[in-house]
Amino acid sequence: MKTISNVVCPFCGSLCDDIEVDVENGQVTKVRRGCAISIAKFTKYGEERIYKPRIDGKEASLEEAIDKAVEILANAKYPILYGWSCTSTEAINVGIEIAELIGGVMDNTASVCHGPTIIGEQDAGISTCTLGQVKHRADLIIYWGCNPAHAHPRHMARYSAASKGKFVKGRNERKVIVVDVRKTRTAKAADIFIQVEPNSDYELLTALRWAVKNGELEQPKIAGIPAEKIEEIADMLISCRFGALFFGLGLTMSAGKARNIEAAVSLVRELNNYTKFVMMPMRGHFNVTGANEVMAWITGYPFAVDFSRGYPFYNPGDTTVVDILTRGDCDAALIVASDPVSGFPTEAVRNLAKIPVITIDPHETPTTMISKVVIPTALVGIEAEGSAYRMDAVPLRLKKLVDPPPNILSDEEVLKMILKKLKERVG
Amino acid sequence: MGEIILKPKVAFKVPIIAETITPDNFAGKSIKEIEDLEAWEGNRKTTLGELFEITGAPGETPKDTKIIIEGDVKKVKKIGCKMTDGEIIIKGSVGMYLGEEMKGGKITVEGDADSWIGTRMKGGQIEVKGNAGDYIGAPYRGDTKGMKKGTIIIHGNAGNEVGCWMRGGTIIVKGNTGLFPGIHMKKGTILIEGDCAGRCGAMMKGGKIAVLGYVPSILPSFTFEEIKKSFKIKGEKIKGPFYVFTGDLNENGAGRLHVSVEKNKHLQFYEKFLE
Repeated sequence: MKTISNVVCPFCGSLCDDIEVDVENGQVTKVRRGCAISIAKFTKYGEERIYKPRIDGKEASLEEAIDKAVEILANAKYPILYGWSCTSTEAINVGIEIAELIGGVMDNTASVCHGPTIIGEQDAGISTCTLGQVKHRADLIIYWGCNPAHAHPRHMARYSAASKGKFVKGRNERKVIVVDVRKTRTAKAADIFIQVEPNSDYELLTALRWAVKNGELEQPKIAGIPAEKIEEIADMLISCRFGALFFGLGLTMSAGKARNIEAAVSLVRELNNYTKFVMMPMRGHFNVTGANEVMAWITGYPFAVDFSRGYPFYNPGDTTVVDILTRGDCDAALIVASDPVSGFPTEAVRNLAKIPVITIDPHETPTTMISKVVIPTALVGIEAEGSAYRMDAVPLRLKKLVDPPPNILSDEEVLKMILKKLKERVG
Repeated sequence: MGEIILKPKVAFKVPIIAETITPDNFAGKSIKEIEDLEAWEGNRKTTLGELFEITGAPGETPKDTKIIIEGDVKKVKKIGCKMTDGEIIIKGSVGMYLGEEMKGGKITVEGDADSWIGTRMKGGQIEVKGNAGDYIGAPYRGDTKGMKKGTIIIHGNAGNEVGCWMRGGTIIVKGNTGLFPGIHMKKGTILIEGDCAGRCGAMMKGGKIAVLGYVPSILPSFTFEEIKKSFKIKGEKIKGPFYVFTGDLNENGAGRLHVSVEKNKHLQFYEKFLE
């Protein structure tokens, strides 16, 4: 038996890097310090696996599957390349090269979660920091439209509300505010819970900003919250020493989307006239931040990049994969480490099922079931090495703990083989 | 006036980018020369002749050239890009970025139009008989320079963010609109004859918006000014009365928002500020 310490968990955007695992006979047998999701990920990764490449549902060799994938991609007039948030930064890098070579649209899952965050930030800028700063300094924390108690189980204890920092010693030295449409488990642990009316976050953010600017609220109630209460909270925000606003899909995917984020950024900017205030999105998949980072440093844009005319073009709404699929514009798809069939709108999935799909994934998913070509790969962070970006854009190295099943390569290696053959074919 | 007719040869699958379809590009050219003009079909470079059946004869100048597109061009983007004069009539529905950076002339769409009509428009007129998508007269994402001059008329409904970052010109929507009409607007006029889904004039710094139908609420960063009897647009008087608000105060803005008194009984509480 071997014990490996300082393992980075490849599940959520918190990327907890203090996990310890026991490995015996090529299997992870024990996980220490992980949350329930982390333990399940490390011990049950072997379930629902794919062991052999497939073409049209029939087993094929890796070479045959790659040849078929290359043929589909080279012939496509408007292919999409989607997923990327559950794989390594190195694999994403190769993916962008493929997209540029074949003139495809490269998009990652931020498109359906924190894409609006990125658009909002681009319009208004963002005041942010690393999680370490929040841990050591933040004495006021807001969770807006997110539920870390369930989605990022160790976030509150390791980095935010209940973390033990150098200057702010723990939960009792912090004020915690939760804004949500229902009383979540996170809300139950808060000092103040604000139950905002569904789809009224923009109004509440605007009212808070106006109250912070010492303006008079003419309406008696805004977003279901009395004006006096909003003024009271504005005073609380101003009087903290270091505030941090964490937000989730409750803000990015409710009415207003990117504009909600713009309003939140504007509120935080206003607060910085009085105190120190930062904000940070609660990123879901472990390397979705990495997908944005890599795409931004190579193409200039963090998601939804259209290479069809040879240069990167970005305009979410036009070049986002959900919209492309809903309109039925694309004629081939390469899906890497993602399962759009489970998550996309019906019309988009219907159109995806009509075109040849190549899926590169360790597991059997509804997407592999509609795919023409399926290539199984190793799990990054368990069976393969790689790097990933935490939600605060800090890169961490994922470890290889056990060997992958026989003849299974990593996403990066498979994508490099596809790229090499594509280069031979299209130059 | 020279007339030229374009008919799609097949139903398009992948997006077509045809910024060459303008009276400026067609004027004074032979059919052969027009057929050789460049277009993009997905990631392949192609020509207008490959995509469309082209008949008729263009005029000598852009002003004398009328382009008629027959059939469905929903997937065709950037028609009328940078046109300065002449006319385009689309007898069906059209794709995104119609009349992008248009400077003059007229575009008429008999069906529906997709998003980003009149992106960064500088003059001329666009009229859509059906419904339109989002971001009418808005710039691309990340840009802060929207429509500057010209007129856009939508007879049906429009989507979200009508007149986003608008710097001038007029937008008239005869139907309903989605959220955020006039967001970040600096100058110009927006008239919505139907209902609006809300958040009118968010972050606006200047300009005028009027809504003749129902508005669910007014943003808290707007202040109530007065009740006015009418609203003027392009010299024409539109009868109210209207509640008039100024905002967006969060942006130190001085935009004027007019909302019908009759259709918005739930805003009556503002009248107490009149005394």
